[in-house]
Amino acid sequence: MKPNIAAATGGHKKPGRSSETLGPNSEIGRKLKQYYDDLVSDEVPDRFANLLKQLEESENSGATPAGEGQ
Amino acid sequence: MADAASTFKQDLLSAIPSLRAFAMSLSQNADKADDLVQETLVKAWDKQASFQPGTNLKAWVFTILRNEFYSQMRKRGREVQDSDGVITARLAVHPAQQGSMDLDDFRTALETLPEDQREAIILIGASGFSYEEAAEICDCAVGTIKSRVSRARSRLQEILNVSGEADFGPDAISAQVMGSNAA
Repeated sequence: MKPNIAAATGGHKKPGRSSETLGPNSEIGRKLKQYYDDLVSDEVPDRFANLLKQLEESENSGATPAGEGQ
Repeated sequence: MADAASTFKQDLLSAIPSLRAFAMSLSQNADKADDLVQETLVKAWDKQASFQPGTNLKAWVFTILRNEFYSQMRKRGREVQDSDGVITARLAVHPAQQGSMDLDDFRTALETLPEDQREAIILIGASGFSYEEAAEICDCAVGTIKSRVSRARSRLQEILNVSGEADFGPDAISAQVMGSNAA
């Protein structure tokens, strides 16, 4: 009874691009973007930049961090 | 050497906001998400040599994060989420009205999707990956990603009542959700 959605939306699209079914004309697509952009724009805690700095420093000093640096 | 390393570090840094968003989408929990990102950064740093410069670093770290997520989930024995009941209750008392779907309704609906569908629709519909990239990240066929996205979208449309053709109300959906919950 239900049309096969995968078959209906597959095929003729440019390969590799997001399906139009999630594009700006779709309510779900818009909400999805809104949901995600909300998360992306969340402020990044310093701990991550600090972590990368630590990793870089321990590499430059030639040693691997052995569970160091809480 | 130091140069390549600092470019790599810069690229990792700029991937962090997307990584956190993906981690949140997967784990639905801010603390777990940030632990996941932290673990991903350490792993990415360790595997630095296996990254091919010029290829998509974002896809590469997303793959690491996803693997980490599923391996943590396996380790925890996939602790049963007792949030299921809460979600069901919220859906039952607060079905989305046509045309007035707000972000909380959407978030709630997204949480009810199985992980494989949720990650697929996020990667394709929000993170901006192609089907091919998403298939690589999830280590599956392109067709599999397509059908997961399609099922996820239909499911969201049903729950949120935006398809226009969804004649069955929130009761049908709650019943489905509860069926898997065996309350």
